[in-house]
Amino acid sequence: MSKIMTMQEAISKYVKSGILLFIGGMQHGEPFAAVHEIVRQRIDHLEIVSCLTISTNLLISEGRVDKFYTGYYHQDIKRSYWLSRAKSIGKYPVFQEYSHFGIAQALLAGQMGISYIPVRSQVGSDMLKYNPNIKVIDDPFTGGKIGAVKAIVPDVGILHVQRCDENGNAQRWGSLGVDAEGINASRTVIITTEKIVDSGVIRRDPNRTIIPGYRVAAIVEQPWGAYPMHLAGCYLGDWPAFLAPLGSEDVYNNFMEKFVYGVKNWDEFLKLRREVKGEEYFKGLEVKLEPSEPIYSGWEVKA
Amino acid sequence: MSQENPTLDFNANDQMIVAASHLIRDDDAAYVGVGLPMFAALLAKRTHAPNCTIVIENGITRTEEFELPDGTDTLGTQFHADKLAGLSYVSYLGQAGFINLGFIGAGQIDRYGNVNDTVIGDYHNPVHRFPGSGGANDVMSFCERTCVVLNQTKRRFPEKVDFITCPGYFDGKPGQREELGIRPGTGPVAVVTDLGCYEFENGEMVLKTIHTACGVTLDKVKAETGWDLKISPDLKDTPPPTAEELRILRETAAPLLARHRRTDLERR
Repeated sequence: MSKIMTMQEAISKYVKSGILLFIGGMQHGEPFAAVHEIVRQRIDHLEIVSCLTISTNLLISEGRVDKFYTGYYHQDIKRSYWLSRAKSIGKYPVFQEYSHFGIAQALLAGQMGISYIPVRSQVGSDMLKYNPNIKVIDDPFTGGKIGAVKAIVPDVGILHVQRCDENGNAQRWGSLGVDAEGINASRTVIITTEKIVDSGVIRRDPNRTIIPGYRVAAIVEQPWGAYPMHLAGCYLGDWPAFLAPLGSEDVYNNFMEKFVYGVKNWDEFLKLRREVKGEEYFKGLEVKLEPSEPIYSGWEVKA
Repeated sequence: MSQENPTLDFNANDQMIVAASHLIRDDDAAYVGVGLPMFAALLAKRTHAPNCTIVIENGITRTEEFELPDGTDTLGTQFHADKLAGLSYVSYLGQAGFINLGFIGAGQIDRYGNVNDTVIGDYHNPVHRFPGSGGANDVMSFCERTCVVLNQTKRRFPEKVDFITCPGYFDGKPGQREELGIRPGTGPVAVVTDLGCYEFENGEMVLKTIHTACGVTLDKVKAETGWDLKISPDLKDTPPPTAEELRILRETAAPLLARHRRTDLERR
């Protein structure tokens, strides 16, 4: 049975109210199209784990997040419209705070299938008073103390990648943030991809595969799926475009009505953006490509 | 400031960035946070430390020049990196002792170098919320020398922070970091503000230089410090930026300023 499906199908099939959801990308290549679809389907009571993501702001402002596992988030309500809106509708999330390395290692422990992982940061910080998932323990080998971070195992993980084959073998490059740990820790994996490629493309450069196909439940082909964030080898980000919903309640409501709830899917959203910003807009975000030298593989003796 | 030579006009912010850049050595591998630390690191790279390695938390390790970024991760900071990996990889470099310099901003810093990036007031009922640790706690836990760059006000320089996000030397008694399992031989070594430069002696912040060229006085420094500040017996003036440093500083800032001007025009 094919794992290739539309964004609507993938999100409605796997992203259910109340789950713990990993959102990939650490500003680089976030699965923005998938996040819009989650918002559009009004899936709520989510627990989110992610690092530095911008896209998750929309889930917070729409009141869909009960708990947010984070290392960094603008929690100053006077400066964060997203959060002040969440508060105004009675949906202020619980923040479970780590350092960035703490989040990364919690996900790595999840990927490794162990209950915790030792760390040498966060110890001595007051974060431990408010986060029961970080502790200082006796190191069984040195006799000293060491930090310990409890594993995080997301129910579902979503990662946007540059290319993926029809089996789900997903390849991502550029800076990787917590992508490898996060997506491999997730029980159910949704891959959104700029394009679906022939399996030969994957197999001629398999070191680049971030998760193998058999671990992937759903594949969604979605060009410009990370816009307005940047994606290595594909397109530049457009920071002002992300700020478009901000300014006032009216601006926000109009943006959400027109661009999120008022469209059926991401392609319609992109079309609307083009209408607002001009025909040449997306051309202006395309990257001048620089190829690398190919790497070679093979196994038979050269004739 | 030099009235006879207008090209040498500079403000306290410029002085802060230049002074911070002097902390980076040519053979440093520096874990650099976005904002002022990144600005200072790029200035160092374009002046006295062209060979320094810059480590960025998303997984970027690079030695080639790049444009001052407006976010932690941009295609410009990724492009032509020496190695791209994830956050864990670059953090492991630090945790294992292979990053000697850390360069971070801060919400508040106290007498003993403890940094608060989390909350002023009660955690659950805050007077002010900062965004949280990000990578700062990791940097200050891992790097041999951590330098903290921030604007100085009495509010941001309290005697004791309400919340320790990144441990400095706690209450100054030696050995506390090591007892908790933090790598020995790490911790804050320097603080650079828009008023002066500080180092740590016996775990306590000590004023070493004042930005006198920008009109800063010792009284002003004391007025913006929340405790009875220890002052170095050989207190000096911060060396003012050279004409060359100012030129490169302006060049480094220009693309970012241009982008910020566009942001307001294009937001729709």
